[in-house]
Amino acid sequence: MTHELLNGLTSGEVEQVLALGARLIVPSGTSLFRLGDPADRLFLTERGRIRLTLPMQVRGKEEDVFVEERSPGQAVGWSALIPPYRFTLTATASLLEAEVIALPREALLEYFAANPAAGRKIALNLAVVIGHRLQLFQTMWLREMQRTVEVRSV
Amino acid sequence: MEMLLMGLCVAVFGMGVAVLAFGAATRSESSDSAVQPQLPLVKAVAPARFFSDSVAVPPPPPAVPSWPVPIEVLLLQIENHVRMEQAAAESFLAFPTHAQLHSKTTSPFVN
Repeated sequence: MTHELLNGLTSGEVEQVLALGARLIVPSGTSLFRLGDPADRLFLTERGRIRLTLPMQVRGKEEDVFVEERSPGQAVGWSALIPPYRFTLTATASLLEAEVIALPREALLEYFAANPAAGRKIALNLAVVIGHRLQLFQTMWLREMQRTVEVRSV
Repeated sequence: MEMLLMGLCVAVFGMGVAVLAFGAATRSESSDSAVQPQLPLVKAVAPARFFSDSVAVPPPPPAVPSWPVPIEVLLLQIENHVRMEQAAAESFLAFPTHAQLHSKTTSPFVN
């Protein structure tokens, strides 16, 4: 299993980082975290899929609307490393149960301090993950705006 | 004799008045009947329009709104739309062009 957040690390460094965490089984339909929860752990998806959702008012009722799905190898919950350390989405295991490695923020920061080279690589990988999310949603936003403009121009 | 003539005159005068009154009464009825062929049309149309108008008024909305699509289906449509839009956005990020950015979606949610 190659984790996007651990790209470029030596196998020894990967083992050290993974050893900081704990494996969690998330039953199907169970929330890993919810929007607004304190974010003190970062998750690496090992098995299954994690659905990320946002609450939306649908017919006067709050519903969790699909935003994105994370697959094995991908990271979930990088709010644990970004102030104010609160999750901005809700994460739920999809149809099948999921398995994740939960990495506590404090343990990661201590590891980064002790291993700055590895910490730098992980920080750059995190920037790639966040940057991709930003570009993706920026594109989606523009497409939706374009559609709105076209509808209003008719 | 004079009294008899006087009574006869009064009787003839009264009869004349009665005949005139009867004539006037029957003349007004006959003139009404001459107008009537048009009146029934007006009278027939007016009530019909009234009832048809009252039927045309939409019924009051039901207490619980009935939606054409169940909410589960609607949420699934939204999810499919998001997935399709993400795929389109991924294509744009892989090879950014104006055409990719503004490619029309085939998502049934917005079409």
